Amino acid sequence: MPNVITANNLTLGYENDEEIIKNATFSIKRGDFVFITGPSGSGKSTLLKSFYGNLAPRYGSLVVGGLDMVGINKKNLQELRTHLGIVFQDYKLINEWTVEKNVVLPLWISGYSTEVQETQAKRLLHHVKLTGKEHKYPLELSGGEQQRVGVARALSKNPFLILADEPTGNLDEYSSNVIWDLMENACHQLETTVVVVTHRIPMVFNIPYRHFTIDENGSIYEVH
Amino acid sequence: MKFIKGHISLIFPLIAILLGLEFFIVFDRTTDSFEKGLQEGYSMIVVSKDEMSIDDFKAWDSHIEQVKELEKSKILERLNMNKDKAEKNSFEASLPNFYSLKLDDYLTVDELESVKSNLQKSSNILSVETFHSAYQSKYELFSFIKFSFQTFIGFMTIIGFFLIVKQMEVWNFLHAQRMKVMEIFGASLFLRSKVLINMALIDAVISAILTSWLFYLFKNSWVRGSQMEILKDNIEGVFKFSDVFILLFAAITVVLIAVFLVVINVKEE
Repeated sequence: MPNVITANNLTLGYENDEEIIKNATFSIKRGDFVFITGPSGSGKSTLLKSFYGNLAPRYGSLVVGGLDMVGINKKNLQELRTHLGIVFQDYKLINEWTVEKNVVLPLWISGYSTEVQETQAKRLLHHVKLTGKEHKYPLELSGGEQQRVGVARALSKNPFLILADEPTGNLDEYSSNVIWDLMENACHQLETTVVVVTHRIPMVFNIPYRHFTIDENGSIYEVH
Repeated sequence: MKFIKGHISLIFPLIAILLGLEFFIVFDRTTDSFEKGLQEGYSMIVVSKDEMSIDDFKAWDSHIEQVKELEKSKILERLNMNKDKAEKNSFEASLPNFYSLKLDDYLTVDELESVKSNLQKSSNILSVETFHSAYQSKYELFSFIKFSFQTFIGFMTIIGFFLIVKQMEVWNFLHAQRMKVMEIFGASLFLRSKVLINMALIDAVISAILTSWLFYLFKNSWVRGSQMEILKDNIEGVFKFSDVFILLFAAITVVLIAVFLVVINVKEE
């Protein structure tokens, strides 16, 4: 299987700040399901941000989807992002848009027809158990429902890589299970690579996974 | 209500700027012809020993556009002298040459003095009368009105820009989250700012139409009934149909700059 993410001596840090991730070397293959854990402030979210180009490597190299993230230009970054599915702990939904419009945002950005968008929205909202809520607005939904909209949005364009930052952090058991099922299915059936930053790996997980952990010094180890 | 409020807060300052612009255009047109009238009504008198042609005068100062020789006999008629014909002829022959000069522009008092001193450099020229005090009072009044009006227009424009900057801050607050999310999912700058561009363009069109309508009313109700010669003589210059396009272009330029500044200031989290 080809590598989807390759990091060599990757060092990350914010402007005028100390290094957070130090000399990380790892690779993630197509179809891998990866959990990244570690104590608070260890740099889990920072690492994830670097995968979608929100933070440029300070040293070392990072290749995502065949694109070198060191000095990547805006056009290539935009193109890469249209092939990623990103899930945030705080959902990052557009509150003035309906649930349906939020779900198809990646399709709309890529210029898909209204028919395709509608069909895909219907299918995904059925998968995340939100049929009938297409025309509601995010603030009319519960936290769990909003996160399921976020996951549906991440899956809407069948991305090659899903990046999820604490997707079930504050959610009820039902919503958490729906989300894990969807991610397992995407990985298992479509060979989508899934990288999840989390504090806690779910007790019951039905597919093989890899487990990376980041220690307090910013070093990354594969533990499973 | 929220929708109307959102639009009015951009339309209002835009109209202020467009009114300023249109007043400037109209003022420029009407004062141009007033200035031309003043210029045409003004002439200086030059007295010379020998006859001089227009080229001789132009050689001393390039502002001189027309030269008219004043007939000596008419000058003598005006003097109404009680002399016989022979005496008159001999007196006429002894008189120097009188010229009335017209200038190419409505000059400042300093420029007028410079023309006078240039002409006086000629040994042939005996005297130059610029009628400087009458000219100065007209010129200063005109300059004062022009300056006051332009200051007022400038002030209106500055207030308009400040209000637009305020509106941009509101836009930033309202649209930043959506634009950030769209950027994360790979939307281009154009797609991210599409909503704002559409909104701003609608406001620009509304503002240009409203301003044009206000000037159309101003022209057809107030100006036509006005006793002000400067306006009555230039009624067509008060508002031309082509001004709608000038206003539209200006409004679109202002809003697009505003949108661009908002969009580039939205930073990804």
